[in-house]
This record gives sequence, C-alpha cells and structure tokens, in this order.
Amino acid sequence: MSVSFFPIWFVDVFGSVLMIVLSIACLRITLQLRRRNESNLIWAYLLWVCLGLTGFAVSRSAGHILKQFLVAADQAAVWGRIRPYSGAVNTVMFMVVASITLFFERTWKIYQEILRDRQALQSTHAELIYLNQNLEDLIRERTQELTASEQKYRRIFEVSRDMILVATADGTILDVNPAGEAMLGYSGKGPSLAGRPMKSFVASSEELKAMQETIERDGFIANREVELKHRDGRKIRSLVSASLDTGRAGTQPIVHFLVRDIEQLRQIEEQITQADKLASIGELSAGIAHEINNPLGVILGYTQLLIRHEDNASEKYQDLKTIEKHVRSCKAIVGDLLHFARTSAPQEDRIKIDAAIDDVLDFVRQHADADQIEIFRDYSPSVPEMLLDEKKIKQVFMNLVMNALHAVGAQGRIAVSTEYEHGDTRVVIRIADNGYGIDEADLAKIFDPFFTTKPTGEGTGLGLSVSYGIIKNHGGDIAVESEKGAGTTFTITLPVLPPENEPGKDHGTIDPYR
Amino acid sequence: MRRFIPRQFQILWFAGIFAAPVPALATQAHAAPEGIIGHQIAHAVFIVSMTILIYWLRERRLVEQPGWKHIQYAAFFFILWNLDAFFAHLIEEQLIWVEVENIDFWRRRIVARGGPDGIESIYYLLKMDHLLCVPAMLFLYSGLRRLQKTMPSESPEGKSR
Repeated sequence: MSVSFFPIWFVDVFGSVLMIVLSIACLRITLQLRRRNESNLIWAYLLWVCLGLTGFAVSRSAGHILKQFLVAADQAAVWGRIRPYSGAVNTVMFMVVASITLFFERTWKIYQEILRDRQALQSTHAELIYLNQNLEDLIRERTQELTASEQKYRRIFEVSRDMILVATADGTILDVNPAGEAMLGYSGKGPSLAGRPMKSFVASSEELKAMQETIERDGFIANREVELKHRDGRKIRSLVSASLDTGRAGTQPIVHFLVRDIEQLRQIEEQITQADKLASIGELSAGIAHEINNPLGVILGYTQLLIRHEDNASEKYQDLKTIEKHVRSCKAIVGDLLHFARTSAPQEDRIKIDAAIDDVLDFVRQHADADQIEIFRDYSPSVPEMLLDEKKIKQVFMNLVMNALHAVGAQGRIAVSTEYEHGDTRVVIRIADNGYGIDEADLAKIFDPFFTTKPTGEGTGLGLSVSYGIIKNHGGDIAVESEKGAGTTFTITLPVLPPENEPGKDHGTIDPYR
Repeated sequence: MRRFIPRQFQILWFAGIFAAPVPALATQAHAAPEGIIGHQIAHAVFIVSMTILIYWLRERRLVEQPGWKHIQYAAFFFILWNLDAFFAHLIEEQLIWVEVENIDFWRRRIVARGGPDGIESIYYLLKMDHLLCVPAMLFLYSGLRRLQKTMPSESPEGKSR
C-alpha cells in the first residue's frame, strides 16, 4: 500500500513542536503555583508531573524532529545511534510520570491532613493572639462577673432567715451563715460553729447518723424534722433539707444544709391543740357540772335542815355532818369545773402584782412555817400597776404556790420573783421550787384538765387547767420548765396594757377554750 | 565510614559505564528486545496510572471543579495516546505485521507481513499519535490555567472528601 508520508511527517513535526511548547507552558504554570505557595503539596505534585512530561516531550519530540531531519538529510545512521538514548529517556520519563501519578491519592490525603492541621493551628493561633491581646480585659471582665456572682450568693447566704450550713460528709462544719449561728446561740463575739462537728448541735446522735446515712445513700434529704440543741441547752425543732455535692473528681464531697427553725410553729400548733382540747373538755364539764350542781344543792339543803333538828352529841348528827362535808367537797369540785368552763371576761382591777402575790404567800405562810419551807421573794420595783382580775390572779398564784409547797415537802425552798424593765410590754412572774420535779412525759399534759400526779382524793387535776385559762383570758402566757429531782419553775407572762386598752373591751377577751 | 575513592573518580567511573558499555560477564546480559519490552511496559504502566488518576479525581469529586475536570480529560487522552503508541510499537516492532519502504521523500509503501486485513491503514493512522497526545497536553494546560485562576491564593481543594 503506497501512502503519502506528508500527513505523518506534518503531524509528527508540528505535534512535536506543540508538545514541547505545551509541556513547557504547563511547567511554567506549575512553577508559578509552586512559587505562590511552596508548602502546597498538590502544587509540588503537579510540578513533578509536568517536569516528567516536559522531560518526556522534549526528549521524544526533539528526537522525532531530529529523526525527520536526519532521515531527510540521508543521515539515518546518525539517527540510529541517537535513537536508543532517546527511546530510553522516553521510557524513563514515562515511568517517572506514571509513578508520580500513582501516588496522587496518597498525596491528596496527606495534603488534606496538612490542611486540617494548618486550619487547626491557624484557629488556635488566632485564638492565642486574641487571648494575648485581650487577656487583661477578659480577666477583668471575668473577675467582675465572678465578684458579682459571689456577692449575689454571699448576700443570699448572709441575709437568709434560715440556717445555711456547709459541712463535710463526716459532719465537720465548714461554714454557716449568721442566721444559723443565731439559731443555735453562737452569734456575736463568742465561738464560731465553723470547724465544730455537727453532733455538737444535733440533739440525737442516732438522728445525725441516720441523716448522714440517708444523704450518703440517696444524695439528699428533704424536710426532715430534726431536733437541734441550742447553746444554752434547750431543744429546737427544725426542718432539715440537705444535698450532697460530690464536686469535681479528687475533691472532698461536701453537704449543703438548709435548716428552718419550726420551734415556734410547733409551739403554736401545740397551743392550738391544747386550746381545742380545753374547749372540748370545757363544754363537757360545763354541762356535767350544771346538772350535778343542782342535786348537790338540794342534798346539802336537806342535810343542813336535818342537822338543825338533831342533837349535837347524837350519832345521827355526826353522820349528817359527814354527809354535809362530802357534799361541800363535791360542790367545790363542781365549782372548779364551772370556773374552768366559764368564759366570763376578767374584771378589771388596778392592782400591784407583788401585793397580790404577797397576799397569797401570807395566806400560806403558816403552812410553810410548819414544814420549815423557805420562801424567797424578789420583786422588780419597776413593775407598774396592772389591770387584772385580782381574785382570779390570786387564785392562779394560790394554785401554783400550793403545788410548789406540795412538791418541796419539808425544808424546801420556793422562790417568787417578778421581772419588768421600763418600756417592756410584759411582766414576767416566776414561781420556782426545788421539789421533786415533773417527769418529761408529764410536762406536755400538765395543763390538761383532770391531769394530776397526786394520789386519788388529793387533787382534782383542775388547778393548773383553771390557772392556764385565767392567764390566757388576761392575754398572758404560762409555761413550765422542770427537771426531775431538781425542781420546777412556772413562768407567767402578763401584758402591761395601757388604761385605754382594758382587757375585754377594745380588742376583746382572749378565750382559751375557743 | 571513611571514603577511599575520591568523588571525581566515582563520577568518571559512572560516566564510563554509560558511555562505553561492555559485556558484564558476572551479570545478566540484556539483549535488544528488552528495550521495546521495557518501553511497552512503561506505556502500560502509564495507562494504568492515568486510569487510577481518573478514578480518584472522580472519587474525590474533584472533577466538579473546572481545573481538575480538564486534567481528567487530559488523563483520558493520555490513555488513548498510550494505547495508540502501544499498538503502533506492537505492530511495527514486535509482531512485525507491517514493513515500510521508502518510495521517495513524501511517499512510503506499507507492506503487510501478517495481521488482519487493513492492517496497513490502521498502522498509517496509528502513526499520527500526536493527534491524541497534543490534545492531552492542551487539556492539561487548560486545567492548570483554570486551577491557577480559580485558586489564585491558596489550595486546590474544593468539595473533596
């Protein structure tokens, strides 16, 4: 087959020239890209590819052009010597480009990782520069925020009316707010609670242990009623909530306590219960007393009628006198019941309280002297005249003093005192004895009607109930403290009312039975 | 380790080996067909590498960018060109299905010595391999230009994964 050689020659020569030109142009671009960013791995990769291709193009194309011209010049033998070198270079360049290309994917992956690392570094670097430039401002800002936050929570801690206490898990107090110290009597310049164990103010160690076990197990306790011990020894009922703060790893766990004093609340509840009980008993007593009083009056009247016609020396006379005595005794009990039940307002007498007490003490002096009982009086001279029902108040003092005489037995001591400071609204009267005291279990029932520790027939159990009613009717209060074997103290608090606020007139009479 | 032979002598020795090859009796002899076989292997490796390049360009979605798209086309034309060159070498130098005789400067006679019918025409067309490698280089150039334009300041990355 005879063919024209020109197309082959033209394509070969012209194509070879183009290959050289284009490969050099490609190399130039990759060099520019490389110069723009020498750390860019992809530009480096493309540069090596173009270097290989340029080497190949120059070697092959130059060889082809040379071949055409040498053959045309009848110098085929010369070309024959050059040809193996041209072919070898072509082969090597081919392999170089192919080998580089095979690593494209790996190169790309590495480049992506470099980019990610670089971005992370740049981001960190920018952040560091920002922090470096604004560190002082940031610290100042953060400090202000922390100070404000600290002040806010410190304020809550300081002004809270409830106790806020922070303690270790084993019960050592780390911090307590002023309300907590005041609640337990540690406020002022005295010793602080911080550093002390919680058992120093929790009344029952078993209760404290149970509380700690619950906190450890559940992480919290909520509204648990716990009895606390005041510095002066008295008990305070409180509601305790607590939560365990395990904090960060490696730090000691701490417990946050919130303690609310409910002693007053409980006392009021008990008073209301007491008042309800008294009211119920009062109503019952009034009904019974009224029904019994009339037959007793009839029995007493007829007995006295029969006595009038009997000889004093006769046996029948003695029997009738016995009946009369016991009927009178019954009437006295009924009278007490009626006293207890009646809700009549006290009469207003302007009296000196120490004079009323003296009257009662004078009345019992003979009995006290007989038993060699010492009676001490300590009256505050500043106690003003008070508007009281003298007869009823004396009855209260009589009940309390007689109880004291009974409690101290022979050679005992009774102290009666009054306290008042100018400006006070109340007078405090204390009747204390060093008698056998009252059991703790009986203290709660001491003002209950018909409650008595005396043997049957010696007491009706109405004396203190009646006294309680009378004091409450005067707007006052009566409380008892007792220690078994050491004695008992009754404390009466009576309001000092201005004349225009007479009891039962302006703001009504306080009725303990309602 | 101490150097016993000066660098200049080492260079001269290597240059001598390449410039004046002599039979190395202790090593394997390399006869003439090794040249064409090595060259054909290079063509085959080039085809494989370009195929892998196209695969990764598509896999990494780099072809969504114009620059890499043109480089993909370049790789494709490089594959075609290598196939062309491979078969041209095969027909002419290995299988020797054709023989070319000079009639005059601008005319040649292609004589079929074997192979399928029309092998002369195929060989004639295969000899114009620059029709494939020049477009490949053109696409490579345009691809690089686009990369240069679209990413003037920094990386060639785009929607890669």
